[in-house]
Amino acid sequence: MKFERQDVDDRTDHARFAEVFLPHLGDAFRLARWLSGSRADAEDIVQEASLRAFKAIRGFGGGDTRAWTLTIVRNTSYSWLAKNRPQSVVLTDDLDTASRERIDQSPSEGGETPETVLIAKIEAEAVRKAVGALPLPFREVLVLRDIHGLDYRAIAEVSVIPIGTVMSRLARARRLLLAAMSGGGS
Amino acid sequence: MTVSKEDEVLLNAYLDGELSPLEAGRFEERLASEPALAAEIEAYRLLGAALRADSGEDMPPRDLRDRIESRLGIGRLSSGKSRTWGNLAASFLAGAILAGTLTFGALNQQSGDQLVSEVVSAHIRGLMAPAPADVASSDHHTVKPWFNGKLAFAPVVPELGAEGYPLLGGRIDVIGLSPAASLVYARGKHLISVTELPQGRALPAAGSRSEHGYLVLSWSEGGVSYFAVSDAAPEELANFVKLFREAAAAAGRPPA
Repeated sequence: MKFERQDVDDRTDHARFAEVFLPHLGDAFRLARWLSGSRADAEDIVQEASLRAFKAIRGFGGGDTRAWTLTIVRNTSYSWLAKNRPQSVVLTDDLDTASRERIDQSPSEGGETPETVLIAKIEAEAVRKAVGALPLPFREVLVLRDIHGLDYRAIAEVSVIPIGTVMSRLARARRLLLAAMSGGGS
Repeated sequence: MTVSKEDEVLLNAYLDGELSPLEAGRFEERLASEPALAAEIEAYRLLGAALRADSGEDMPPRDLRDRIESRLGIGRLSSGKSRTWGNLAASFLAGAILAGTLTFGALNQQSGDQLVSEVVSAHIRGLMAPAPADVASSDHHTVKPWFNGKLAFAPVVPELGAEGYPLLGGRIDVIGLSPAASLVYARGKHLISVTELPQGRALPAAGSRSEHGYLVLSWSEGGVSYFAVSDAAPEELANFVKLFREAAAAAGRPPA
């Protein structure tokens, strides 16, 4: 066994990549799938994210490997979507206006059918569609919280936003989703 | 809906377990008296359940991992050792078994023999892992500082490349539930691990032992116990230990 310096470094990079990124491949794929809305796109994104992760692996300074992995997948998703589907990436300013309008227009009066009854009957496909219709920054915090189970602090790290913003976006995301589900049912 | 924006945020934080116990208690009091809040919480709970249920089928394609690995050339580099995921899994398993052994060791008033077994296990684990060292470098100026902050003592890191024992790097092993410094050297096709343990626990007398086909030479110097583990020829390991000790002494370490 010959140990060239470079060889040893490469082996270490591969080993670290295998320990840091690969165990979270399922999470990585899931996040990319929710953010892009398609399995095929998610595969592209995860492959690209894995290249980025590999290049950056020496910079990983320890800590939460899952949050690190998800951060890279999240960032890759954004750049991938900006390149391939620019209309899906909404700026936060636009988003605030857009979402405010949507919240205002949402059928929040309730009516005779309680939201709870409708939600209980939601088909998986309908949830998926409603989540896919959420503006990206809202979808992101919702998925990180409800699919990946990250706490607010971890979401703040992955999405690079203050915890207060995590909280307000999450509240809005759920409100929008609930409105969409109850509105779409009738 | 009569729920205000502030309450909306509070409600979500409550649902996600992000409120302090005091805040959560106060919020629960309100929940009991405000049906609008309670109904909303219930709706969110169902929503969350629906989301998680839908995510169950979201498994990545089976070959995604293979594609990533082949694209990064992981297969190519490891072909020399025919490293497969099976091997890797085996090494994880070995790690788990080792962790089990360590707990067992802690329960059992560590004897010197157990320390030697653990040192050998750590060496074997190093052989199974994708890389035998966590910091890979033949430069002791890289390896030595890497241990800073990871250990309560500064290990000696001699360079013996000129003598035919190139330094490959270092790693932290956990021996007797305490972190220990291990250096990895090569001798031809064989690897040599040198594990350095600060004294203060039951230690074996200096000497040589054979464990699972590996030769272990141990000695103490300057308040630190050293274990050299390898499957190299006994005389080569003995020669290595001699060179290691001379270099360590020359480096200013108090000689024995």
